[in-house]
Amino acid sequence: MTFLRCISRRLRHLFRRQQSEAEMAEEMRFHLVQRAADYAADGLPDEEARFAAQRKFGNVGGIQEQAREAYGWGWLERALKDLRFALRQLIKSPGFTLLAIITLGLGVGANTSMFNVLNDVLLKPLPYADGMQLDAIYRTPGLNAVDPLEGGVSPADFLDLRREMGVYGEIAAYAYANTSLSEPGQPAEMPRAISITPNFFAALGTRPQLGRDFQVQEGLHGNDRVLIISQRYWQNRFGGRADIVGRTVRVNGEPHEIVGVLPASFDDWRHLGWVDAFRPLGFDTEKSADRHDTMLRLIGRRAGALSRAQAESFIASFGARLATDFPEANAGSTWHTVPLNDVGWGKGATPMLAMLIGLSGFVLLIACSNLANLLLARTMARAREFALRSALGASRTQLLRPLIAESLLLALAGGVCAVIVARWAGDWLSVRSTADNGEAAAFALDWRVLGWALVASLATALAFGLAPALFAMRLNLNNTLKGGARGTTGGRGHQRFRHALIVGQFALAMVLLAGAALFIRGLDELNYRRSGWESEHLVTGTVILPAASYPDADKITAFHRLAVERLESLPGVASASISSFTPFFRWYDSRKYVVEGRELPERGREPAAVVNGVSPRYFETVGTRVLAGRAFNERDTLAFSKVFIINQAMATGLFGNENPIGRRLNQPGGSANEWGEIVGVAADVKSVLPDQGPVTYQLYRPMAQEPRARNEIAVRTAGVASSALIGDIRTTITGLDPDLAVRQLQPAEATIVRANYAMGVFRDMLCSFAVLGLGLASLGIYGVIARTMAQRTSEFAIRLALGASIGDITRLVLTNGVKLALIGSAIGLFGAFGVSRLLAAAFPGMHTNSPPVLIGTTLLLIAVALVACWLPARRAGKVDAMLALRAE
Amino acid sequence: MARKCDLFQGTLDMLVLRVLSRGELHGWGITQKLEQLSKRALQVDEGSLYPALYRMEGKGWIEAEWKMTENNRRAKYYRLTRAGRKQLETEQEGWDRMTAIIAQVMQST
Repeated sequence: MTFLRCISRRLRHLFRRQQSEAEMAEEMRFHLVQRAADYAADGLPDEEARFAAQRKFGNVGGIQEQAREAYGWGWLERALKDLRFALRQLIKSPGFTLLAIITLGLGVGANTSMFNVLNDVLLKPLPYADGMQLDAIYRTPGLNAVDPLEGGVSPADFLDLRREMGVYGEIAAYAYANTSLSEPGQPAEMPRAISITPNFFAALGTRPQLGRDFQVQEGLHGNDRVLIISQRYWQNRFGGRADIVGRTVRVNGEPHEIVGVLPASFDDWRHLGWVDAFRPLGFDTEKSADRHDTMLRLIGRRAGALSRAQAESFIASFGARLATDFPEANAGSTWHTVPLNDVGWGKGATPMLAMLIGLSGFVLLIACSNLANLLLARTMARAREFALRSALGASRTQLLRPLIAESLLLALAGGVCAVIVARWAGDWLSVRSTADNGEAAAFALDWRVLGWALVASLATALAFGLAPALFAMRLNLNNTLKGGARGTTGGRGHQRFRHALIVGQFALAMVLLAGAALFIRGLDELNYRRSGWESEHLVTGTVILPAASYPDADKITAFHRLAVERLESLPGVASASISSFTPFFRWYDSRKYVVEGRELPERGREPAAVVNGVSPRYFETVGTRVLAGRAFNERDTLAFSKVFIINQAMATGLFGNENPIGRRLNQPGGSANEWGEIVGVAADVKSVLPDQGPVTYQLYRPMAQEPRARNEIAVRTAGVASSALIGDIRTTITGLDPDLAVRQLQPAEATIVRANYAMGVFRDMLCSFAVLGLGLASLGIYGVIARTMAQRTSEFAIRLALGASIGDITRLVLTNGVKLALIGSAIGLFGAFGVSRLLAAAFPGMHTNSPPVLIGTTLLLIAVALVACWLPARRAGKVDAMLALRAE
Repeated sequence: MARKCDLFQGTLDMLVLRVLSRGELHGWGITQKLEQLSKRALQVDEGSLYPALYRMEGKGWIEAEWKMTENNRRAKYYRLTRAGRKQLETEQEGWDRMTAIIAQVMQST
């Protein structure tokens, strides 16, 4: 009880300070008056009585001090006083304070925003309940390791696993399935969709916010005309309408009912990507027995009692059993589990992220050097004050306290600044990372990021605020006090330290600039690489024909023919074509071929080629040149023998100098009537993506001989701008089939630029770091040169008086600065080489080695240093000799 | 005037508690009372008294209240708390024991 009363009394003293102090003063006064009265009663005159009373009383102030100590808040009051004093000092020199805060804010802010990105992409756990129990189960076919996101399993294997899983828990599967969604009166769309087993959401621990989840019977083929959509799709496409549940839409041409809407928390792009629609996954009997189509991805939720190790060994042994039971499909494959939190699209960006964090660290280092220089100069200017206080008896701690207080205040202000910078950066990144369906990755600041900002600015400010202070401690009292009224620049040691900092800053700035410049050049080259096609005046789009309406080859071919005919009849269209892939992205269909009349190579070592199915006028539409032989024509259909066109690389690789025209190719193990004749050779085609893929042989076959449902439409325009035709093209397609959606129907240029979009964002970030680093470094060199030159005013005055011209002085200052910049750039060049190596490793296929760029960057750096030193140089030259010498 | 003697800090606390055990007093009153009871031998310094008073208030042995004196002036009156009373007993016992031991030592031959 007394403890509580004690605390309450202390709190009362703390908060009602003035009242307590007044009471104490009144009590003392009362006592004094009484004693004076006592003395007066003894016979002393009034004045004397009062003096005597005061003498007797002693040190009122001292008593009050002791009394205050008894209340126990002394340390707090001292700290507050230090802070107030520091605040006043900082406000008195606004230039320094502002510069320090901005420098700290920019440096820590750049770092914090990168940490923010790292947090959102890699560190934050996925938004599924009890995420620790979730695993991704994947299959590695044969020798090479496979990404868990790519290691699919076949339907038959999945069904076997489900039968044997016993006490594992819950295993769900999903597969990416392109669908078209249309409603009467609105153009068809192609939302991103996946097909899922009915227990998918239950396994992840998510429930729809509206409507219901899929039911078990809807997993059976034939019962699956239902749809669940995401919150975002509900808002964007359906306007958030209240009657969404129960609404009927046409999916792939068939009516489906929307039965549920997922909560907004499910919109995490890292695991599945931004999926808008979910359909039940149902296998017909034929598909259930399919062991070859590795279309499914698996998620497992372990039952509580099952440990990760037990689950792993169970899955691994299941995989081993499969390999022995079904060797032709599963020989050599192994099954693994990995925690779901470790899997995600963000993982692929790790090298980019690591580079960005490293580079932002460089920016922080430059900012820190600036801060160190600033604070060092400030401390030196106050050296005399420190020497005086030390001589008057201040201890080291007492001298350090105001400096620490100043650093703390700067750290606080800098931290707030950094958070603001990080917030802007996050917003900008959100805007820039908007995907095609309007979804943006929100880089929100959470407590981890804020904590990081605070800790980083505290550490920086304290480290760079204290270091100069420790410098100050080492000053020789005598010399400092005698050394003139202006404070000191510090001896040679300090000078060298400052110059070393500048050199370091410029080295780092060089690395940043070079990295950015090399990347810009590499990316530009990629985006504008025209290797094997002409993307001007070209419109492209993707159409996927649903199996229900186009079940066989005839229907598909009929559609192709009609589509090309109708498109070519549009005014302004020079030619149109349909193909499996566009020339500017990778072709994913890879097959092996053997040459007729040659000895068969070892099984598994046959040459591989990527294959593109194309319509007759493909080559003239996309602009790939046919170097020899002929292009395909209307006669190359199923009714006639197979024909191929190969690219230059394949021709040279397989046939050397011989003429490939007329030779025949077939797939190994193919039947006798599948031999195809080579009728032409086309130019090599390179994709715009940095990763070309390992296969350089390219083979074309007529679309009509193997019709496919996934089609790329290409339309070459003549005489009109490509964008003008987009509406007509879409109308033509929907006129053929109102349930068909054309995805990304836009000029080819736009598609190409969009493909390397992420790298464009990366490039912008590199640029901002480079600009930031350069700006900070130039501020740094300006500050240091200005200060050192200001200290040398008397020297300049003497030189001027002895006959030097203004130009001489200016040149002196400039050479000083440029020398530092040159040394820094030279050192930075090594770092620049390192960065170009890193870029080459992270983006294979991009050319990042470019001597002209490096030379250009060096020149830029020197120019910036010149500009930064120009102002102090001019001021140095304008010194009035007489005034300067007299002002000693 | 009797000889002034120096007091240990602990004993001042005990004396103040004893004085207050007879009734509440303000700081000046305590000084007066101590002088009176010791026949002017004990002249307590304000510099010792007030810190002691605040310290004891902090420990909860005495509590204070502002009241009006006979001359209609405002003064801060101190009085013992229950904890203070117990402390007084403890200190008194300790003091008695110590003086007995010292007397025994001094009177031995």
